[in-house]
Amino acid sequence: MVLLRKKQCIAMLLAGGQGSRLGILTKVMAKPAVPFGGKYRIIDFPLSNCSHSGIDTVGVLTQYQPLELNSYIGSGQPWDLDLNSGGVFVLPPYQKGKSGEWYRGTANAIYQNISFIEQFSPDYVLVLSGDHIYKMDYNKMVRFHARSGADATIAVFDVPLEEASRFGIMSTDGENRITRFEEKPPHPTSTKASMGVYVFTWSVLREYLISDEADPTSKNDFGKNIIPRMLNDGRKMMAYGFEGYWKDVGTIESLWEANMDLLKNPPAFDLYDDGWRIYARNPIQPPHFIADTARVSDSMITEGCDVAGEVSRSILFAGVRVERGAVIRDSVIMPGAVIRSGASVIRAIVGEDSVVSAGCTVGAEAREGEDNLIALVGQHTELPENFVVNPGDQVDSDMLRLERSLNV
Amino acid sequence: MKDVMGLIYTSKNETSLRELTASRAVAALPVAGRYRMIDFMISNMVNSGIRNVGVIMQKNYHSLMDHLGSGKEWDLHTRNDGLFILPPFLTRDNVGSYRGILDALHSNLTYLRRSTQEYVILTNSHTVLNTTFDDLLDFHEQSRADITLVYAHKDPEEVDETITLSPRHVYLSVNGDGVLTDMEIGPTEPKSHNFYMDIMLLRRDLLLRLIDQAFAEGITDINRELLQRNVHGGPLRICGFEYAGYNHRVETINSYYSLNMDLLRPECRRALFGVHPVYTKVHDEVPARYMDGARAVNSLVADGCVIEGTVENSVLFRGVHVGKGAVIRNSILMQGDAIESGVEIEHVILDKHVTVLSGSRLIAPKLYPIVVGKNKTV
Repeated sequence: MVLLRKKQCIAMLLAGGQGSRLGILTKVMAKPAVPFGGKYRIIDFPLSNCSHSGIDTVGVLTQYQPLELNSYIGSGQPWDLDLNSGGVFVLPPYQKGKSGEWYRGTANAIYQNISFIEQFSPDYVLVLSGDHIYKMDYNKMVRFHARSGADATIAVFDVPLEEASRFGIMSTDGENRITRFEEKPPHPTSTKASMGVYVFTWSVLREYLISDEADPTSKNDFGKNIIPRMLNDGRKMMAYGFEGYWKDVGTIESLWEANMDLLKNPPAFDLYDDGWRIYARNPIQPPHFIADTARVSDSMITEGCDVAGEVSRSILFAGVRVERGAVIRDSVIMPGAVIRSGASVIRAIVGEDSVVSAGCTVGAEAREGEDNLIALVGQHTELPENFVVNPGDQVDSDMLRLERSLNV
Repeated sequence: MKDVMGLIYTSKNETSLRELTASRAVAALPVAGRYRMIDFMISNMVNSGIRNVGVIMQKNYHSLMDHLGSGKEWDLHTRNDGLFILPPFLTRDNVGSYRGILDALHSNLTYLRRSTQEYVILTNSHTVLNTTFDDLLDFHEQSRADITLVYAHKDPEEVDETITLSPRHVYLSVNGDGVLTDMEIGPTEPKSHNFYMDIMLLRRDLLLRLIDQAFAEGITDINRELLQRNVHGGPLRICGFEYAGYNHRVETINSYYSLNMDLLRPECRRALFGVHPVYTKVHDEVPARYMDGARAVNSLVADGCVIEGTVENSVLFRGVHVGKGAVIRNSILMQGDAIESGVEIEHVILDKHVTVLSGSRLIAPKLYPIVVGKNKTV
């Protein structure tokens, strides 16, 4: 018999969601694989947090468009998770005997991996999602959970009352014990929003997962089913307050905003913190080159870029080319994209390996009294010359093809 | 090219590189904003499909070992073959310091014998180029050579004149069949402009035999006593293979400076980075940050830099901080340098983690750049 080392706590990272609010950005990749902050992907944040928190066993539950994510995670080496005992495991749904099915919900995804979790006989299971940008020491939260003897601990983040109806909201007593939980309440009574970070005592969660699975009316979802049921049963559930930067990047606007937060001075979210580096898998590229004709200010530029145009208040991912005479302002340009001479990209996101051809106008300056939405060019999309993408519009190669076929 | 193994000979300290090689081998010299010299040669080998690479180390190899690690970055951390780090060691007949490459090879006979590949590519570590060795092997087999030496055409003015008389500068004369007719070592006026690049291909069993022979005869100088003698009427058929692509040898401060400055030219960047990937040790750096008021032109800037001042015609390695109002021109700033506000710098090479205090001016003529050693404060 092979003995696996017992783990006090292992993490299960829910990375199977489509992230449909990110529109065409997640057409061919799962949300956690979406690039962020010049050289990262969203999943780097929870994975780096695990690595820094000493949680060395992470199951990543994948389902929607997993290819990019699978190859990105690989052996887990960038996050020091290529271990003999533990490490990172990609867990897609699989056939079991005669049955076999997709993950039907967050709780069902964990339920289907009970035997994976049992291998490590953990005391606690940390459940994470792959949609947030934050730096958090999970170990502190696990210790809080253990000390308080709770059955479940939910990390909470203080949000402004007017925004509280967008979140799962927790009411607590004086000892931080959760008394009420409401998913997106229309009239919130508390400002403690769930961050989608849970610690469960495994023996308790296991029981609930099994009974939840037996209930045909359940949606098999943590927020909708498991948490309310545990509360109803009077289980000890604690709120763990988190202070610092935390941002949901589930929409185009919030993804853009979170990127722009990095450019604030001082940055709203500090990537330059030596004590808590965010790890990422990156192909090795030479330093970026700034040509004679370039004008760069207030921006982040990554290795492999070649800049000969004007870039301000923007983030350029690895290998982006900005030709002479191109203008980029308040934008996020993802890896390998090319912005040709005479194109302007303003308040926009340009997807991986896309080409904004000469004379194109993507997005526009913000105007008072308007929505000022972000323009989006999808991945692997080559815009024809002089093409216009208006604020709030999304364009990718499928749409261009459709448009061409309609025009013929 | 699975039947070829690579052997890289890293030479002893290079005094003409001044402070830059005081504590590191030339192989470990930082170049091009994020690489070390040896990255190029190892990457060339790996990109050629070579799976067995030995690196012969001499002195000051600590930073080189740290850089290479298990060879993971080059995918050389494999169960079979992979990266072999070969530092000198003391035995009854080994004094821990090599008298040349033949001596070094003799000390590593066991490794050479145990390797299974048919051919060996033997190179130095002070030339930077981006290539694969497939053409070389084809040429070697087709010309039925015993040994093939790789050369590059160099106009006399391209060769660093401060060391023209160095015995390391070898010129090859080659006839129409590619066979060497002459090998001149350190000539003042070479007969040909075929500059030997210190890259050699031969069969492993032949190399083993030559090492044995050399040891028996007390020969230590591979160029003068082994290759040149053979060219002048020995039994071995020695051929020359021309490498026409960009290559740059670093032996002096000036050649180090000009290599880095070459990279500001698009054609040189393409030749070194646009052909095959160059691998190096990965550090988790953040993207470079340009602050409001920063001005940068014609420069190579690595990740982790924070630029508040002006940078022109320069190469900035990872994590360099250029303070407000500072002006950097025609300079090379290595990892972690901190340039405080108001500093003015021109034709300067700063080794790693140098701090230049606020208000300083370091201006040197182009032909004699100022070099500041590691961890210094100016």
